Amino acid sequence: MPSGVIEIEGLRKTFHSVRRGRRVAVDGFDLRVEAGQVHGFLGPNGSGKTTTLRALLGLVRADEGRMSVLGAAAPDQLPRVTGRVGAIVESPQFFGNFTGYRTLRLLALAGGVPVARVDEVLEEVGLGDRGHERVKGYSLGMKQRLAVASALLKRPELLILDEPANGLDPAGIREMRDLMRGLAANGVTVLLSSHILAEIQLICDHVTIISRGRRVAAGPVQEVLAGFDRAECLVRADDLVRAEELLLAAGLTVTGHGDHLVVGGVPDPVTVSRTLGEQGVWVRELTPLRPDLESVFLELTGTTPHPGVPRQPDGSTPRPDPTVIDLDDVRGVDA
Amino acid sequence: MNLIRAEVERLAARRFVQLMVVLLAFAFAVTAATTLAGSHQPSASELAQAQQEAMAERREMEVRHANCLAREQGAPPPVEDYGYLPGDCSELDPALRDRLPVTADYLNGVFTFTRQAEPLLYFLVAFLVLFGFLVGASYIGADLNSGGVVNLLLWRPRRLAVLGTKLGTLLGVTLAVSVLASVAYLVTFWIIAQVAGYPGPTDASFWTSLGAIWGRGLVLVLLATAVGFAVAAMGRHTSAALGAVAAYLVVWELGGRIVLEILQAARPDQLMLSTYVGAWLTGEMTFWDNSACIGDRHGQFGPGLAFGYCDGSYTLGWPAALAVLLLLTGGLTAAAFAVFRRRDLI
Repeated sequence: MPSGVIEIEGLRKTFHSVRRGRRVAVDGFDLRVEAGQVHGFLGPNGSGKTTTLRALLGLVRADEGRMSVLGAAAPDQLPRVTGRVGAIVESPQFFGNFTGYRTLRLLALAGGVPVARVDEVLEEVGLGDRGHERVKGYSLGMKQRLAVASALLKRPELLILDEPANGLDPAGIREMRDLMRGLAANGVTVLLSSHILAEIQLICDHVTIISRGRRVAAGPVQEVLAGFDRAECLVRADDLVRAEELLLAAGLTVTGHGDHLVVGGVPDPVTVSRTLGEQGVWVRELTPLRPDLESVFLELTGTTPHPGVPRQPDGSTPRPDPTVIDLDDVRGVDA
Repeated sequence: MNLIRAEVERLAARRFVQLMVVLLAFAFAVTAATTLAGSHQPSASELAQAQQEAMAERREMEVRHANCLAREQGAPPPVEDYGYLPGDCSELDPALRDRLPVTADYLNGVFTFTRQAEPLLYFLVAFLVLFGFLVGASYIGADLNSGGVVNLLLWRPRRLAVLGTKLGTLLGVTLAVSVLASVAYLVTFWIIAQVAGYPGPTDASFWTSLGAIWGRGLVLVLLATAVGFAVAAMGRHTSAALGAVAAYLVVWELGGRIVLEILQAARPDQLMLSTYVGAWLTGEMTFWDNSACIGDRHGQFGPGLAFGYCDGSYTLGWPAALAVLLLLTGGLTAAAFAVFRRRDLI
């Protein structure tokens, strides 16, 4: 088994505060990122994502657990590999009166990176024209680009990005996606934390989902999604009542939803069209229902919104009836 | 080395630092301009008259002392009336005076370097102490608050080295600014004295005394800078240092002093930091201990009473003051490093 670029085992961190008391942020969390992966790191607000990344980068002291980055034990041996790791954690803040160029120049100086690299990364993240303006005049998206630029300065082998698309407009998100893809294509390993699940699904090949400080799912994105595939189809037909009878008679599970049916236990949609067609019921629409990352995420983290049920402070929502899983809440339509 | 270069650049680029340097230059310019405007070069006759007056005053002092000694030896009183002569003639001995009348004392509207260099230097040191404390506090406070330290630690994940480099850079830059500012300051006033005033008799003892104040002033500036840095680092914010100083001054220097006086505590000045700052800067300070001369309920007097005369004064010298100031600054700095080493940066 190859050594992981990032390895976290049994990470535990509790914060103590006089006002807020004791709060377990990370509770025995595991994470493994292999070389060359673009690894998505998902979790609701307050689930422990940022604490995990901070602990990994030596900004927060872990109570328990073992961590390593590029083979170096974190945080003690981090200085050995830090020149090969680019990172941004949460919404990075910069000194408002400094220009973007000066901000990066100071980091480059401190890190022993040639200052000429500053102009290159500013171009790379689309701040080439605005680099000599003061950071306090930047939009949130521009600050985010500046943060990514700071992480890219070192030409890292490993990039750890916490919410890099935060505050970006759609065009910016697409640029960021292309940037990540380009980096991955050049062999850079990327650990990407984000709330934009569709983006993660588009960019990442592996994913780890954290909820309440614990890992609830991990693996290749397609495998994680396949674990939630209930082999369902959405069916619209000219005679919905008759269609339901025929499908039930064929041994399939059927749920009526007004103008359509959801048919379960369908390994191949052909089964549905054949069953109905042979009995003279004509199918208007037959759509395989595949889980997407959002639905899987919401189900795993218990954050699926329910009408009339307020969210809890940790982002979760209590289910109206814990014995019944509402498929509409966890299902998405794979267009 | 790269980190030091980056930190020097970061410090120099800070708006607050630039503002403080401008304020320093402004205060310097205003003081120099008003001095220049209110002074003139004394004419030969003014100088001669002032020299005569100073000489006459010195001669009168010698005569009074001689008369006093003569009275002690039983000589008849002099024809001229020299007024009251004290019982102890050493009080009149010119050789035991702190200073004797000099020409500059009798020059009106003339800036005399030897007379005014010392108070001018104290003013500059006070400004530089304020400069060092505020810059030290804001440098680390703003950096911790704005996420600059976190960004830096992602590049250099050695906390103590990063904080140590920041403090070292800060002290180095503050020392350089202080040395340059004070040299420029004194040279400017020396030139003013040459062209529009009176330099005065500048002998070796004058320069030694001025140099000692200058050296001690620079040390005080560095200590204040380190204290500002340490308190702001512990409080994670510039305002932590400002708040701590304000609280100390109001609660202890003001309130504590009043309470200690009510309680008639012995030598309350010894418990005040300002005492040690003053003693360090001036080289020595004398204080009065009220309790030394107050009788207790058994009629026993304090230690100051001797041969019916009570001397409640006591002196604090610069070595004791330096020890206290170093202990305080070292303690705060060590605490700041210890806290920063273990702190969760969130």
